[in-house]
Amino acid sequence: MTFDHQTLAAIAKSYGLIYMMIVFVGSVIYACWPSNQSKFDRAAKSILREDDE
Amino acid sequence: MISQLTKTEREIALLLTILLAISGSILGLMGRGDLLGYHGALLAIAGYALTFVLIKDHFDPEPGPKRIEKYYDDPIKVGIVLAIFWVVIGTFVGDWVAWLLVFPDATFDAGWASFGRLRPVHTSGVIFGFGGNALIATSFHVVQRTTRARLADRVSPWVVIVGFNLFCLMAASGYLMGITASKEYAEPEWYADIFLTIIWVVYFVLYMRTLARREEPHIYVANWYFLAFIIVVAILHILNNLAVPVSFGHAKSYSLFSGVQDAMLQWWYGHNAVAFFLTAGFLGMLYYYLPKRAGRPIFSYRLSIISFWGIVFLYMWAGSHHLHYTALPHWVQTLGMTFSIMLLVPSWASAGNALMTLNGAWGKVRDDATLRFMMVAAVFYGLSTFEGSFMAIRPVNSLSHYTDWTVGHVHAGALGWVAMITFGAIYTLTPWLWNKERMYSNKLIEVHFWLALIGTMIYVFAMWNSGIIQGLMWRAYNENGTLAYSFIESVAAMKPYYVARAIGGFLFFLGAVVCAYNVWKTIQLPAVAAKNPDKPPLPARGSPTALSAAE
Amino acid sequence: MLKNHAKLERTAIGFAFAIMLVASIGGFIEIAPLFTISETVEDAPDMRVYTPLELAGRNIYVREGCYACHSQMVRTLQDEVERYGHYSLAVESKYDHPMLWGSKRTGPDLARLGDKYSDEWHVAHLLNPRAVSPQSVMPAYRWLLRNELKANDMPLHLRAMRKVGVPYTDAMIANATADTYGQANPDSGAADGFFERYGFDSNSRYFDGDKRKVTEMDALVAYLQILGELTDAADQTAGAANLENDAEGATQ
Ligand code: HEC
Ligand code: HEM
Repeated sequence: MTFDHQTLAAIAKSYGLIYMMIVFVGSVIYACWPSNQSKFDRAAKSILREDDE
Repeated sequence: MISQLTKTEREIALLLTILLAISGSILGLMGRGDLLGYHGALLAIAGYALTFVLIKDHFDPEPGPKRIEKYYDDPIKVGIVLAIFWVVIGTFVGDWVAWLLVFPDATFDAGWASFGRLRPVHTSGVIFGFGGNALIATSFHVVQRTTRARLADRVSPWVVIVGFNLFCLMAASGYLMGITASKEYAEPEWYADIFLTIIWVVYFVLYMRTLARREEPHIYVANWYFLAFIIVVAILHILNNLAVPVSFGHAKSYSLFSGVQDAMLQWWYGHNAVAFFLTAGFLGMLYYYLPKRAGRPIFSYRLSIISFWGIVFLYMWAGSHHLHYTALPHWVQTLGMTFSIMLLVPSWASAGNALMTLNGAWGKVRDDATLRFMMVAAVFYGLSTFEGSFMAIRPVNSLSHYTDWTVGHVHAGALGWVAMITFGAIYTLTPWLWNKERMYSNKLIEVHFWLALIGTMIYVFAMWNSGIIQGLMWRAYNENGTLAYSFIESVAAMKPYYVARAIGGFLFFLGAVVCAYNVWKTIQLPAVAAKNPDKPPLPARGSPTALSAAE
Repeated sequence: MLKNHAKLERTAIGFAFAIMLVASIGGFIEIAPLFTISETVEDAPDMRVYTPLELAGRNIYVREGCYACHSQMVRTLQDEVERYGHYSLAVESKYDHPMLWGSKRTGPDLARLGDKYSDEWHVAHLLNPRAVSPQSVMPAYRWLLRNELKANDMPLHLRAMRKVGVPYTDAMIANATADTYGQANPDSGAADGFFERYGFDSNSRYFDGDKRKVTEMDALVAYLQILGELTDAADQTAGAANLENDAEGATQ
């Protein structure tokens, strides 16, 4: 399969953008999903426990 | 250290060092008519020396069953010491190179001492020698503590540390002899590149296996950054270094790509080396040691996740901002510019997250120079990413590119961000690792802090000035419409700034020496008794304690 | 979606994979079109390859790190074109493995250096830049004139270059060593057929002025003298007309 330059450039400019939106929206949803909140809180605090050092 | 290895582990290690000795010898023989021979010899000598040590101590007593109850920290100690060794060497050579631009005849009429050969010794020395060792060591520490699991085995960490440093040695000694592929930050030749690839795969597998053993269900975000660093650096390294050697007996190779493709690939690599080596890895450091030192959880865990994916994703597109107004197609330049500007969002989110974590602990920041190192690092991270996005705008780049402004920008990032966060991590980690109450001298940390900060400021301001003056002189016209300055006039105008930079750099170097002394004295302090000798620090594998303790 | 995410980050492998995917798609989308760029690069049928001596000189340029201070890429900006000459075209670095565009101009751009100065000037400059240009900060490269050029493995170098796509012919490879010495030592007759192989406008002379031996200086000067001279493509595209608008803003 060979692509010419025009096609590749066009794919980059269109699907590239869609892909970017998906990654962005995806990571925001994941980070803000309510049920993840407690897990994140715990993770953030977990490193502060004494016995780590 | 060998006493920490079991019999089987000693045997595996022995096998590997013999393999190293043999492959080094073969490489040396194949390259005996070429500079390659020296690097074969280097690997062979390292292999024989390690083999000798392993055989000599082979019958030392084995470690008891208690060993699996403890984290495995020996390689981390070695990594930290090596990082300090390289920062002293690397900044020393950096300052030497800076003085060479003031006294260009100080080369003893010897090739190895000329600017073009010493400069990569400096860049590789600080980026890979200092930064790389610090990243490897802290990643081994962070992954064990945050997963509450021991490193997956006790041979591969040594393979990573020893192998990586052999790579750094080959790099630095090669440039002095004139072995270079000329690709910025990827100068080592094909055989060293293959060697590093093997080491990196071992590193990746070790990290993954350790994560798989974790007792915590959630992988703490610092590990995400370390993992992205390991993975993406591997991809970049392999693609950018594709080349055909002249023969298996020659150090020299010819890059597989040429011209525009080669340039694009080189800066795709170059910029992402900045992103994943100098940014992602060190953010991993920041997300662990800063909250630990401040005694406060990270301000927003959510934000750290969003910025993580933002950084992993956006950086990959930004490389072409290094090639504005060149023969690179226009749309690629525009793409690079756009993404570079968007990058500001996750970058500032990370910097802001770090600073907000300190909000409420400003008293500590005032009193504790170690924490202050990390705070200043976050500030410089914010500043240099802002500057980077600004410089990626084409008209701005038309002024800044090719000038010292770029160098000023790089060092705001490298000195202000990378080095400061690492020093903060080293001062936090050293007493823990060697089981001491605290660092030998807090005063000396304070001294180091001010030397580093003042040195960085002098450096960066000098380069901003010289860069902007240089850029303006190059494009200045006089009334009759001809260029106002010859090139050499712009060279002459740089002189005072080159002197200032070299002085600032010297202060920074002095700071690194102070750090080395302080760490050395700390190691010699008497150890403190374990706080709780009966309680093993590590939960038995698969025990529920880790989970319940987390509540 | 959420469930997948939770699982994803629970399985370290899946997570590593996600990083790989997210990161490499960005790179791929940006880089892939560049490998088809040859379709859009200017044509230069007259483009010649580096002679073995010039290639050896180029390798010395790389070895000494000249690229750390010199770019070889004139940008499409008014002042640069006036200072250095026609802006660089993609096709001009077609045979550059690796490219030496550079990123820092401690010294001036060298993309169009060829024929700007005499050989004697270059030798004098490389031996002591401050003798020629008192305020220069460039290092002196005196050892280049002391070191004899090592050229017996030039056929291997040309063969490696051919493997990465540079059209060296069998005759060029077979004669590479003789051509190296012959080009810098025209009276020796070592390089029979040199001009047939590399074109009649290539140079053959005592570049370093020393007739007794062929030195690294010969090679480096031979290379410097053909920078920007491998093709006429730049002379054929209209110069100033193609400058970008931003360039106007660059003038003060
Ligand atoms: C420390 C930085 C530095 C390095 C390394 C360096 N140069 Fe230079 N070079 C300069 C400076 C500054 C000038 C301008 C002053 C002068 O003419 O010497 C210059 C000028 C030149 C010129 C004259 C260009 C012109 O158009 O007038 C040539 C040719 C040159 N250098 C070749 C080389 C070569 C070949 C090497 C490697 C062997 C090299 N340079 C390494 C800094 C450097
Ligand atoms: C948002 C993030 C960043 C962006 C968009 C950015 C952008 C840029 C730009 C535009 C240049 C100039 C290229 C040129 O004209 O030559 C550059 C150079 C460079 N930057 Fe950054 N930068 C960022 C962050 C950083 C950080 C944090 C560091 C170091 C830790 C860093 C290290 C470098 C290096 C090493 C170069 C040198 C390239 C050369 O040799 O020319 N950058 N960057």
